[in-house]
Amino acid sequence: MKYLPLLWAGIWRKPGRSILIFLQVAVAFTLFGVLQGLKTGVEHAIAAARADLLIVHSRLSFGVPLPIGQLEQIRSVPGVEEAIPVGLAPATYQNPDQHVGLVALRPDKGWLSAFTYTIAPAYVKAFRATRTGILVRAELAKKYGWKIGDRIPLMTMVPQRDGSTVWTFDVVGTFTDSDIGGGDSNVLINYDYWNEARASGKDTVNHFSVKIADPKAAAAMADAIDARFANSPNETRSESIREMAQESLQSIGDLEFLIRAVVAAVLAALLFATATMLTQSVRERTPEIAVLKTVGFTDRVVFALTLAESSVLCVTAGGVGLAIASLAFPYASKFVHGLSMPLIIVMAGLVSALIVALISAAVPAILAARLEVATALAER
Amino acid sequence: MNSFRQFLALLAVSLSGLARRPGPVLTIVVGVACAVGVLVSMLAMGSGARQEEMSNARDDRVVVAELGQRPLFGSISRQDAAAVQDLPDIRRDKDGRPIVVMEAMIPMSGVRRGTAARIFIPLIGVTTNVTAYRPEMRFTAGRMFRPGLHELVVSNMCARVFSGFEVGDRRSIRGAPWTIVGRFDEGHSGQCTVYADVNAIMSAFSRDTYSGLEVMLRSPADFHAFQAAVTADPAVHLFAQRQRKVVADNFKGLNSLLDFASYFVGTIMAIGGTLGAINSLYAVVDSRRRELATLRAIGFRPGAIVAATLCESILLAVPGALIGAAIAWLLFNGFSTSPFGYTFELDVTPALVLTGVIWALVMGFIGGILPAVRAARVPVTTALRAA
Repeated sequence: MKYLPLLWAGIWRKPGRSILIFLQVAVAFTLFGVLQGLKTGVEHAIAAARADLLIVHSRLSFGVPLPIGQLEQIRSVPGVEEAIPVGLAPATYQNPDQHVGLVALRPDKGWLSAFTYTIAPAYVKAFRATRTGILVRAELAKKYGWKIGDRIPLMTMVPQRDGSTVWTFDVVGTFTDSDIGGGDSNVLINYDYWNEARASGKDTVNHFSVKIADPKAAAAMADAIDARFANSPNETRSESIREMAQESLQSIGDLEFLIRAVVAAVLAALLFATATMLTQSVRERTPEIAVLKTVGFTDRVVFALTLAESSVLCVTAGGVGLAIASLAFPYASKFVHGLSMPLIIVMAGLVSALIVALISAAVPAILAARLEVATALAER
Repeated sequence: MNSFRQFLALLAVSLSGLARRPGPVLTIVVGVACAVGVLVSMLAMGSGARQEEMSNARDDRVVVAELGQRPLFGSISRQDAAAVQDLPDIRRDKDGRPIVVMEAMIPMSGVRRGTAARIFIPLIGVTTNVTAYRPEMRFTAGRMFRPGLHELVVSNMCARVFSGFEVGDRRSIRGAPWTIVGRFDEGHSGQCTVYADVNAIMSAFSRDTYSGLEVMLRSPADFHAFQAAVTADPAVHLFAQRQRKVVADNFKGLNSLLDFASYFVGTIMAIGGTLGAINSLYAVVDSRRRELATLRAIGFRPGAIVAATLCESILLAVPGALIGAAIAWLLFNGFSTSPFGYTFELDVTPALVLTGVIWALVMGFIGGILPAVRAARVPVTTALRAA
């Protein structure tokens, strides 16, 4: 404790230099935090995605419809707990730039377990009771000022039986979605109403949302479901939500080599700069260190003081840089839901800052410790 | 002695002293090298992607799409397609028929080698005159598909990136087996292209509309006449765009994302490098206080001192930039990457190296300003009296 003032005085001996080193370390760790944090954050988000939810869609692609008749066959596969038909359609609200994704699903008993949505029980009840009911994503309700009881017209490409492509729904509640790929602008409607009212594409779905009993068996379950429809005109492809997240976010993993190279370059440049500055600083302080030793500071204490000075500077600066980096995450979470700065990266960053400090201060600290009092003072 | 000669003399003194100050010099060089190396390698992704995208774009090729729809996502009736064939200015193949390729796009997925990830690949049904439209297609194995049969031909990139695309492999499409009968090379393109007969695809998927048309003109200059002819027909709700524009539009998002990432990371690294340069030059100026004060005392002007210090900083940045660009070239030129589902090779071009050097000059200049001013302001009397 008694060394703290000394440490503090050492850092502020040349405020300009310390501030510049501080800024440089902070900048380096901002970049470290953003790059490594995004990469690891995405990996965490993928690992957190549910493996017990399968999406059963056409083997060809998402756009190709499947007959709803497949529902009973899927439900009969052992291990399937719930299977819900889902129809999708793009829509717009008021002007062509305001996109809304219609998700038509059948709210059978236990349907919520097959989705990543969180909905208040009262809203679920109202949704099941209202044929033209619509549940809107909370963010969307806020954006357009929709309130329960509002009737909202949505433009679609799907004609109703009377030829109109405008569908009007009654807002019965809001929901939130924990899926990392979940569309920001999704709304839920009743599949049965949608299916009866539309003029074409009757009794088809875009996919089935399936909840399975054992998330570890996801791959085997997917194969079992697909095997039911093998060699039929409507072959299926079943994928867990986690697998899909992995696929769509694969891109960031592909950049791993580049991210590593950038982080290595950042740390290398930093190491050089801090090492040079600290050596310079110790050289300038030769007389002071000699005086310290004269009044009784041991070589070991002088060595430790030099290391401590650079550690305090680098670790605080690293912390500031990581804090700045974490500011980027609310923005990035618009693209990948649930993305946040992983704690492990904060720890790794602080440890790296400490390592940079210790390595770059090692040579100056040895110089300071080995300083001969007599020669140092004689140079004056 | 005029200011310029003072400047030259000062610069010579500074440069000759570099060897005695390896620490600060290396800090500047390494800092600039890292910043420029990172910037150049990241930008090389963008330039590689652009080169890849545009490698097969030609000015005499035109994409005809449905009004209001993205190219290849429309539904064009057979009558409309026939009407396009009758338009003027279309180049004719060796049998005298207009080169209009009718296409039907169906999304399919491929399993990536190594990672086993499933990735979207467009399966494009085409008429057989696609070989006249794309002369860059050269078959390296097998043959072209036969009209009406369940046969596929794939670009070599498919076989390289995905499994199950060798000649003779069968793929199940709509419950029926389709055989891969040929593999072709298409110049620099790094994308996986899968072609099949358009009529076979349309009957397999019970579709009766094309998703797009591609037309080869007699010459690039005929484009405006052709475009006007397409628009003039009131019965046909189509419009024509140059292929180059369609490709550029498709990749606009990817390109701006890559550019943003490059300059974002490059800027942060440059700020770090500049801070390091400022610090190092301050240290140099401080260690030369007495020397600078002496120079001032014997009549050197502050302006000359500022200019010499700035110039020293900029001169140190240039080798840093070249080293950084060289490392980027050695490590990454030709390095193949597949971010966001596209595969392309990084391309370190001279233009990028120039960008890196300019970036370094700016770093050197900004890094040198404050230390240069401090050097010129060394108070003569105190600096000489101290020590």
